[in-house]
Amino acid sequence: MSAASEVDAAKAAAALELVRAAGAAGARAEVSSLTQLEGGWSRHTYMLTVTDPERPEPLQLIARVRPEDSVLDTDLGQEFAIYEAIEDEPIPSPAVHGYEPAEETPFGGPFFLMDRLPGKAVNVWRQRDRDELTANWEGSRSLAEDFVDRMAAIHLVDPRKLAGAAVARDFRQTVAHWRGIYEEIRLVNDPVVEEAYAWVLDNEPDPVEPRLVHGDYRIGNCLIDEGRLSGVLDWELSSIGDPRFDLGYMSLDYHRGRFVTPGSPLAGAVAEDEWLHARYQAATGQPVDRSVVNVFAALGALMLFSIMGTGLKLYANGESSDIRAAWSRFVFPGLRADLANLMGW
Amino acid sequence: MFNALRTDELIAGMGTTMRAAAAAAGPADEYARGQLLSAFSVSRLLAAEVRATPGLLAWLQGELDAALAASADPAAALARERVAAAADGTEVGDALVDLLAELRTEGRDQELRERLHAILRELAARELAALAARPERRGQGS
Repeated sequence: MSAASEVDAAKAAAALELVRAAGAAGARAEVSSLTQLEGGWSRHTYMLTVTDPERPEPLQLIARVRPEDSVLDTDLGQEFAIYEAIEDEPIPSPAVHGYEPAEETPFGGPFFLMDRLPGKAVNVWRQRDRDELTANWEGSRSLAEDFVDRMAAIHLVDPRKLAGAAVARDFRQTVAHWRGIYEEIRLVNDPVVEEAYAWVLDNEPDPVEPRLVHGDYRIGNCLIDEGRLSGVLDWELSSIGDPRFDLGYMSLDYHRGRFVTPGSPLAGAVAEDEWLHARYQAATGQPVDRSVVNVFAALGALMLFSIMGTGLKLYANGESSDIRAAWSRFVFPGLRADLANLMGW
Repeated sequence: MFNALRTDELIAGMGTTMRAAAAAAGPADEYARGQLLSAFSVSRLLAAEVRATPGLLAWLQGELDAALAASADPAAALARERVAAAADGTEVGDALVDLLAELRTEGRDQELRERLHAILRELAARELAALAARPERRGQGS
């Protein structure tokens, strides 16, 4: 546990070296603050301020780190490349300032630096945050509009721009990918998960043109500033694939804020399902079939089993001390309930 | 019920988090506070789970026994024995995974498969209800 008021000299030096190499700071720049945020499970996140006498305003930066005990075996370099590729798209995202691919760094793994955007992230598993989202839906709907429009913008990015920046997977490859991880990391047999893998393959949707898929699109991975969506973050699960995955994944009850008690009736805790689908269809020209969305929602739940299961395995093996990995075990009954519902049990 | 980490492993994990917090110098940062709050959440959920598990396991074994006894599928009899002998939820899960894999093949008892689905759905709902219950404290009721 580090003191919030002290700056880790080695981390600060590594960050300065990167930001100088990217031309974003001069030789006399210093790191005046550096703290670790609660962050996600696959990436560690640090907030830092760089003061530079050659610049009028300090740089407010975020360091994204892929730790050794990451629950996702995803390439941080690809995530960095995605941020670069979408910089000129109508998707609010931070500018990036250099990528350090070395495994041995003071941050404990590869890292890159990016601007800290204005806004805060909501947590749909907190009642007061859900209440704020519901109030917006019942009022201006600005967040619901932004949430759908930004997702549509993601799906309208020309995939040719993303060569080398994102892995391409079709439906069966995506199912095989997550099933492979599940089989590798599972500590116990789960009959609901086994049945669900059979079900998604039995209900394979007709393919559509592959597009950029965020892969973890939910309001908690966005920033909100003054009632508008100010950032779309956490691209480590992005791929070129079936964009309907994002629609299904966000519609899980889990992402409506259901943990052990019910969450919001709104999809993603943001908007009514029918409204969301109609707006998405209008923005992309792609029809939304609810039964197909359900298949992708089930696939999204299976992905969460694999990701959280990886954390559990690392924790059980003593390779991670992050107690949140152990906590995630209590998410599984809700995901099973989601799957049972989606499969029409 | 089909749980990856045992109760003793979770208790040990909470202890590790508490020891790290006690050993830290200076004020806790956001990450460290998150760890402690997660440990607190694990303690509440685990308490609820420990309280509910014997009843849930008995209910599950009873429901499965009735469903399997009513089936003429060749796999049902062995599964019934395994479920009856299971000491915990993971052993029930092992038996169900094997049985459902057989039932997914053509010509098998689809009525049994659907009944198992319904039991598993009800199990998830009961587990959620159990986890949502507030921890009991002596003298304060539930």
